[in-house]
Amino acid sequence: MAEQRGTVGGPVLTEWFATPDLHKLDVYESLGGYAALRKVVKEMTATQVIDEVKASGLRGRGGADFPTATKWSFVPKDHPGPKYIVVNADESEPGSAKDRYLMENSPHALVEGAAIASFAIGGHAAWVYIRGEYDLPFEMLRDAIAEAHAKGYLGDHPFGTDYPMDVRLYRGHGAYICGEETALLESLEGKRAQPRSRPPFPAVKGAWGMPTAVNNVETLSTVPWIMRHGGAEYAKRGTEKSKGTRMVTVSGDVQKPGNYEIEIGVTYRHIIEELAGGPMPGRKIKVFWPGGSSAKVLPASMLDTSTDLDGLKALGTMGGSGGIIVMDDSHCVVKGAARLLRFYAFESCGKCTPCRVGGNWAVRTYERILAGQGSQIELGILERVSDGLQNGRCLCGLGDAAGWVIESTMRHFRNEYEEHCLHNVCSVEAALAHA
Amino acid sequence: MTTLSEHLIGEIRDLPAKYPQPRSAVMPALDLAQEEAGYLTPEAMSEVAAALQLDPGYVEGVATFYTLFHLEPVGKHRFYVCTNLSCTLRGANDIVEHVKGAIGVHEPGELSKDGLFSYEEVECLGACEYAPVMRLDHRYEKDLTPQKIDALIAERRSPARPSAVEPPHPPGSLRERADLPAKRGGEKAKPKPRARKPKSG
Repeated sequence: MAEQRGTVGGPVLTEWFATPDLHKLDVYESLGGYAALRKVVKEMTATQVIDEVKASGLRGRGGADFPTATKWSFVPKDHPGPKYIVVNADESEPGSAKDRYLMENSPHALVEGAAIASFAIGGHAAWVYIRGEYDLPFEMLRDAIAEAHAKGYLGDHPFGTDYPMDVRLYRGHGAYICGEETALLESLEGKRAQPRSRPPFPAVKGAWGMPTAVNNVETLSTVPWIMRHGGAEYAKRGTEKSKGTRMVTVSGDVQKPGNYEIEIGVTYRHIIEELAGGPMPGRKIKVFWPGGSSAKVLPASMLDTSTDLDGLKALGTMGGSGGIIVMDDSHCVVKGAARLLRFYAFESCGKCTPCRVGGNWAVRTYERILAGQGSQIELGILERVSDGLQNGRCLCGLGDAAGWVIESTMRHFRNEYEEHCLHNVCSVEAALAHA
Repeated sequence: MTTLSEHLIGEIRDLPAKYPQPRSAVMPALDLAQEEAGYLTPEAMSEVAAALQLDPGYVEGVATFYTLFHLEPVGKHRFYVCTNLSCTLRGANDIVEHVKGAIGVHEPGELSKDGLFSYEEVECLGACEYAPVMRLDHRYEKDLTPQKIDALIAERRSPARPSAVEPPHPPGSLRERADLPAKRGGEKAKPKPRARKPKSG
């Protein structure tokens, strides 16, 4: 049994998490698991499955918020060769741990969802690309798949039908960039994980040159629930544009960090102050990353922002992968940003020049600033590098994300940057020293 | 004399048939090689390349891209300590300092005197609700404190409790599935030894 720090018994994804041994097929099935896959392969057509998911309004939970049914419908129906579902289980976004939480607690939900998705695109195999550090989720998925095979739910004749279905595993070996879907596909093909230029999009030419839909773990783990209860029932939750529930991981300076299932539309204040217990005693929240380190930061004054897609978009940020990182007034924003830039520079795959060069440039600039060698010049460099990293100058979003960290922390905390650069003062440290 | 065992080479030759295209076998093969040899020497990579009929430079190019492939000797027990933002906010830098002191090393990748331990600072491990965290012997160690680190080290130094120090799964259990169809690959390609270049940047 996996340890649980987060929602158990939530409305959708964590509905059964309070049941012991949920990772075992018998337990999962006794609660209603695999009923959806059985119905899909025995009674439904691919189009009906896509329509049901379309009615749910489900969007991708890996960060891009793309409508899942639409993604599936892009896969050509008349393609003669194999078609693949590739599951992005390479969760590496700083602050995001929800896919691990889902896989550790309910691996069969992902297996079932991946099989349903494969059926929906007319494919016979789903490949789960799981990050190499996730030993326990890997082992649990491996055992879940073996159980499903033994029971006859996967294999040549799932549920006695003549529609072969398999779910396969592929371990990553440590590279943040593999979370980007085309880099992931390169890695799955046994190459250095460097993003591809698009078009062609994966729906046309994806894994091993075949039509492919790449879906996130949480997205697919939601699909069995939608097929059991109907898309309309799922769509009753959430907001007009952002339906349903989603997982968020709250980490950093809060009393109860964890993975929480929320109905989309609740505010960040609700998540951070109520679910996650708020700041540590005597501390005040200063800033939070609303959707992984790649989402532009929001200051504490914007805690009442809704988790709705449109609300976040209006502020120029995003719900991303659901990783909410909270920083309180005992931490320096400039140091936090410097740490994240070190991450983006290290993880740049090196293919596009702005990202490869810009990231390291920013790191060196932050190092000078934190060594007390900052000046007006460093502020200017950060602004220019931030711009150079953004605005679609690279094949994927890694460079953009690095630029957003600089830009958004500078926009909201210009004072901290100026103190460091112009006066060689860290007011946070100074305040702590006097406390 | 080869670096990798004959049995392992045979197993690596069987890998390509398990994937839609043979090239996908390169990472699983490197994984097996590393598991057996401890780390990836140029010879081990060349042998993997030969078994998969790939260019050694290509295989090396893949190995150098991914952080979980080690090109230098590593400790039997490796502390992969996360120092990304969520963990740093909860004291990861102190944890790193404590690990360094406890195993008596100064640099990431440096071996402890007894060869048992080494550490690395790694990026987000995806267990932020347990920060600070690290990966050790294929398991996550959560809510780290100096006391916990000391206990983990003591367990692994004590010969009296071998079960506590071995990885939780026997060698080979990280393979995807034992029952997959496999067929032998063709002729062995000639390995072309090459000088190894460190990963840039």
